[in-house]
Amino acid sequence: MLADETVDCHTLVIGSGGAGVRAAIEASCYGDTVLVSKTIAGKGGCTPMAEGGYNAVLREQDSCGIHEEDTLKGGAYLNDPELVTILVNESPQRMHDLLCWGAVFDFTENDVVAQRPFGGQQFPRTCYAGDRTGHEMMTTLMERLDSTNADVMQEFTVIELLKDDDSVIGAMALDERGNLILLKADSTILATGGTTKVYDISTNSASGTGDGFALGYRAGAELIDMEMIQFHPTGAVYPYDARGRLVTEAVRGEGGLLLNSLGERFMKKYDPERMELSTRDIVAQAIATEILEGRNTEHGGVFLDVTHLPREQIEERLPVMLEQFLKFGVDIRTTPMEVAPTAHHIMGGLRITPECRTTLPGLFACGEVSGGVHGANRLGGNALAETQVFGKRAGEFAGKSGTRDKRHDGTQVSSTLGHLEAFLSGSVNPALVRKELQQAMWEGAGIFRTASTLEKTLKTIDRLSGVELRAERPRNLAECCIVRNMCLTASLICRSALIRQESRGAHIRKDIPPPVWDAKNSPFGYTYISRVREGIERRGTGS
Amino acid sequence: MKKMTVRILRFDPETDRESHWETYTITVNDGARVLHVLHTIHDEIDPTLEYRYCCGSGQCGSCAVRVNGEPTLACMEEARNNSSIEPLKLTVKKDLVVDLIPTLETIASIKPCDELVMPKRSEIDAMRPLKDCIECLCCVTVCPAVGVTEFPGPTMMRQEMRLALDPRDRADRVTEAVKDRLFSCTSCQACWKICPKGIEMPAKAIERLRALANRKGYTLPRHQEVAALIKETGRSVPRTGPTFLEQVGEVIEPYGPVKATVGFFIGCMYNMRQVQSALDAMEVLRRNGIRVIIPEEQVCCGSPLIRTGQLSIIDSLKQRNIETFRSRGIDTVLTMCAGCGSTLKNDYTTPFEVMDFNEILTKYGIEPPARLPIRATYHDPCHLLRGQGIHDQPRKLLRQVVDLVEMPSICCGSGGGVRSGVPEEAAALGARRGEDIAKTGAEFVITSCPFCEFHISGHTDRPVRHVATVLLEGYQKQDRKNCSCKKE
Repeated sequence: MLADETVDCHTLVIGSGGAGVRAAIEASCYGDTVLVSKTIAGKGGCTPMAEGGYNAVLREQDSCGIHEEDTLKGGAYLNDPELVTILVNESPQRMHDLLCWGAVFDFTENDVVAQRPFGGQQFPRTCYAGDRTGHEMMTTLMERLDSTNADVMQEFTVIELLKDDDSVIGAMALDERGNLILLKADSTILATGGTTKVYDISTNSASGTGDGFALGYRAGAELIDMEMIQFHPTGAVYPYDARGRLVTEAVRGEGGLLLNSLGERFMKKYDPERMELSTRDIVAQAIATEILEGRNTEHGGVFLDVTHLPREQIEERLPVMLEQFLKFGVDIRTTPMEVAPTAHHIMGGLRITPECRTTLPGLFACGEVSGGVHGANRLGGNALAETQVFGKRAGEFAGKSGTRDKRHDGTQVSSTLGHLEAFLSGSVNPALVRKELQQAMWEGAGIFRTASTLEKTLKTIDRLSGVELRAERPRNLAECCIVRNMCLTASLICRSALIRQESRGAHIRKDIPPPVWDAKNSPFGYTYISRVREGIERRGTGS
Repeated sequence: MKKMTVRILRFDPETDRESHWETYTITVNDGARVLHVLHTIHDEIDPTLEYRYCCGSGQCGSCAVRVNGEPTLACMEEARNNSSIEPLKLTVKKDLVVDLIPTLETIASIKPCDELVMPKRSEIDAMRPLKDCIECLCCVTVCPAVGVTEFPGPTMMRQEMRLALDPRDRADRVTEAVKDRLFSCTSCQACWKICPKGIEMPAKAIERLRALANRKGYTLPRHQEVAALIKETGRSVPRTGPTFLEQVGEVIEPYGPVKATVGFFIGCMYNMRQVQSALDAMEVLRRNGIRVIIPEEQVCCGSPLIRTGQLSIIDSLKQRNIETFRSRGIDTVLTMCAGCGSTLKNDYTTPFEVMDFNEILTKYGIEPPARLPIRATYHDPCHLLRGQGIHDQPRKLLRQVVDLVEMPSICCGSGGGVRSGVPEEAAALGARRGEDIAKTGAEFVITSCPFCEFHISGHTDRPVRHVATVLLEGYQKQDRKNCSCKKE
C-alpha cells in the first residue's frame, strides 16, 4: 500500500482553491513546487463557487483605512489587526495581478473595474465578474499556474502531515486507488479551505470538510477562534437537496429586499440604518429569529425579493442566480426567492503570522484554513481578497525558506498505515457517521448555541469519533480519513465555542447574558486550541 | 419522497474487461437531482460506486455525466424514474469518473504582455459571454468533428476567441485556431445546445474566428470560390440546368380556399440542385391552402459566407432579400432549406416572420395523405433541429404517411463549409450516418434540408427523400384510391 516513489520538492502546497493556487504560483518563483489537489485543480474548493466579489480599495474617495475600519468593525474587533492591515493594503495589488493575468472583471463605462456595495462597508468596494467572480478568478489563476513550473498532483487526498520532530516536512497522501505516497518538502503550505460541510446545511463544495484544521491539529499546530462560524444569511431552502445553496450577497447588494411572511421588511427591527446590507452575522440572526418566531414562508425561510429591479439588471448582474433558480422552477424576475441561513465560512483556523507561518516550523497556512483575518464575522468580499493576499504571502515566504534535511519518522508512516489497515476491517459506513455528525452540528453548534447543546453535540462527536469506520476497498480509504477529519474539526468548533463565554459576532451563546461591553471593549481575545493547551486570551494581558 | 429506479453503467478497471449496466431502486427527496441519486446509491447501497462532483451547484463542471444519452451536469439535472446514467464519452477511469485532464490540458492559456494593457469596457463586454465556461467538457463529447478529426473541441475554440479579443494576450490566436482545424466545425450547434451555460460557441467563437482568419487570408480556397460565385451570380452553386425560379410563376394559387399567403425564400440548393423537392413542396402547399408568392429577384441568403467567415458582401445580400419580401408586403416568409431558414431567423433582423415548411404545414394542418407501406427514418437537419428548434413538426407530418423509426440526431457532415472545405471529414461523418441509417432497418431516409439530402445520398444505399416528396407520394396514392373508388 505504501507507494515506492516519494515526491520531493521545495514547496508543497496542499489545496487548489484560490489561496492554494495563488501560493503555488508565487512559490514556483523560488524553487520546485508541487500543488496537491483532492479534486481536479481549478474545480475544487469554494473559490470557483464564490459569487459576489472581491474587496479592494481602488478609488480615491475610498481608503485602506476605511476598509480596515469596516473589516475590524464587521469582525467585532476580534481580528488580528496586523493581518487586517496587510489584507486591505495588499488587496489592490493582488487585484492588479489578476488583471495582468487576464481576469475579466466587470468594468464601468469609464473603463475601470466596477465595484458594488456589500454588507458592512462604507464604500462600494466589491469588485465582481457578474455573480461568478470566484470562477473568473479561478480560471485566471489556473491559466497563470499553467505558465509556471509547478507540478500539479490531481486527485490525491492528503491525509496527514509528515513530521520530523517538531517540524513539518511534507505530507502523506492517498492516490485514487488508496496507495499511500510520501510528499517531502522544505516548506509545506496548508491551503485546504473551510469546513462548513460538517453542518447539515452548508454552502460549501464537497471539499469543505475541514481536513486542514484536523491535519494541523494532529501535527501539533495551534488554532484560534474555531467557534467562529459564519452562517450566510441567504441560502436556498427548496428543494430539500438544494437547501443551503448560496444565494449571493450580491442579490442584496443589487437592491434585493428581505421580507417575512407578513410582508414586513424586518431588517428595520434589527439594523434600521444598514437594513439588508448589515453585516452577515446580524442579517443571519435576524432571519433565524423571524423563522423561529413563526414569520416564515412556506418552505421555512423568508423572502428575498428582486422583482422590483429592472429585468436587465438581474440578467446582467445576477445571471447565475437567475439560472440556478430557473432550474428549480422559480423565475426570480417575477417571484421572490425563499432563503434561510446556511453554514458558509469559518473565521477561525490555524494561527498565522503576517508571513503565514503557523506555530509549527515548516508549516504555512493561508486562506480559510488560517485564522485571525476576519475576527468574529467576515465581510462579504473579504474572503476572495484574503485568498490572494495571503496565498501570495504564504507562497513567497515558504518559497524563500531554506532547504532542509528531511528525515521522516518511520513510526509515523507505519502508524498511518495501521490506521488505514484498520479501516479495511472496520464495520461502520462512513456516510452514516457523516450524516449524524452534520445533523448534530446543525442542531447543537448552529447560529444560536448554549453550553448544553454544545456539550450534547460534543458527546455525539466523541461517540462518532470512536466508531470503526469501514472502507469497502482501498479506493474508499480517503473517504474514511475525511470523515475522521470532519469529526475532529467539528469537535474543535464545539470545544472552542464552549470556551468563549460571550456572544460576539457570529458566535451567539444563548445561555450567557448579552455582553455589557461593546465588542471593541470585550475583555476577551482569541480562543486557542492545540494538542497541548486550550483557552481564551484576555485583552491587554495577551496569552 | 419518491421511489425511483435507475440504471448505471459501471466499470471497474481492476476487475472488469468492459462496462455493464446495474439497476438500482432507491428513494429520494422530491426535486432531487441526478447527483442525489448517486449519493443515495453510494451511501445506502454500494459504497464502491464512483462519480466525481464538487460544488453541487452547476459552477465547477466536475459532475458531467450522460443521462439517457445526453451529457448534463448531475448536480443540476432533475432525477427521473427509469433514467440511465453513464459516463461522458471520454476515457473511463472507474464507473462515472472519466479522465478529464488530457482534454482540459488542450485549452489554451493566456500569454500576457509584459506591461498591463487595461482592456476597455467594450472589450470586457465582448469577452464576458465566452468566459462562463466551467470546462465540464460536455461540448467536446458531442462534437461530431472531434470524433473524426484532430479538432480539439468547441470550448477550445471558445477560449481562442476569448483570447483573441483580449488586448492583454500577445499570442496569435487566429493562426493557432486555424492550425487547430478551425474549419472542421460543421456548425451543427450540438455544442451550445448541450452547454450547461448556453455558450453560443458556433456563432460567438467559431464563425468569428473564421472571420478573423479571413482577414489574415486563411480562408480555404474552396470557400473563396463559393464567395466569388455568390459575388458574381448571387448564387452559391453554378447553374447546371433550368432553375426552380425559371419553372414557376410569381404566384402559386392553392387548389382550394386560401388559408394563408406566404412569400417563398427558395435558397440556392433548391433553386438549382434539388429542384424536384421544391416543386413537390409547392404541390403539397397547393393542396393545403397555402398561397405562395415567389419573388424572382431573391438571392443567396449568405449562409455559406457567414459560416465560413467571409462577411464583406453579407449586408448587401441581406438588404436585397429583405427588401424583396418587404416591398411586396409579405408578412410571412417560408423557407424549406434548413440552412436558409436558420440564417433568416438567426442572422437577419427581418420585418417579417420566417417559418419553415414543416412549421407552416403543422400550423395550418394538412389534408390526410394515404399511408405508404414504408418503414422510414428521419434525419434531423442540424439547422432545423438546433438552428430553429424544429423537432416534433416533421415527425408529426411523417407519422401520418409512413412508419417512422428514430435514430440519434447527429450531424451528417455537410454543414459549415465542411463538405467543400474538408471533404475527408464530411465523408467520414457521412459514412457514420450511413451506419446509423443501416442500424434502423429503414427502407427510406427522410430529411428536410438540401445539404443533408445531397450528402447523405452519397453515404447510404437507401433512397433519401424530402418530407414534401413523401407527403406528395401519400397524396398521389390517395388520389389513385379515390379514382378507383369512383370507377366502382
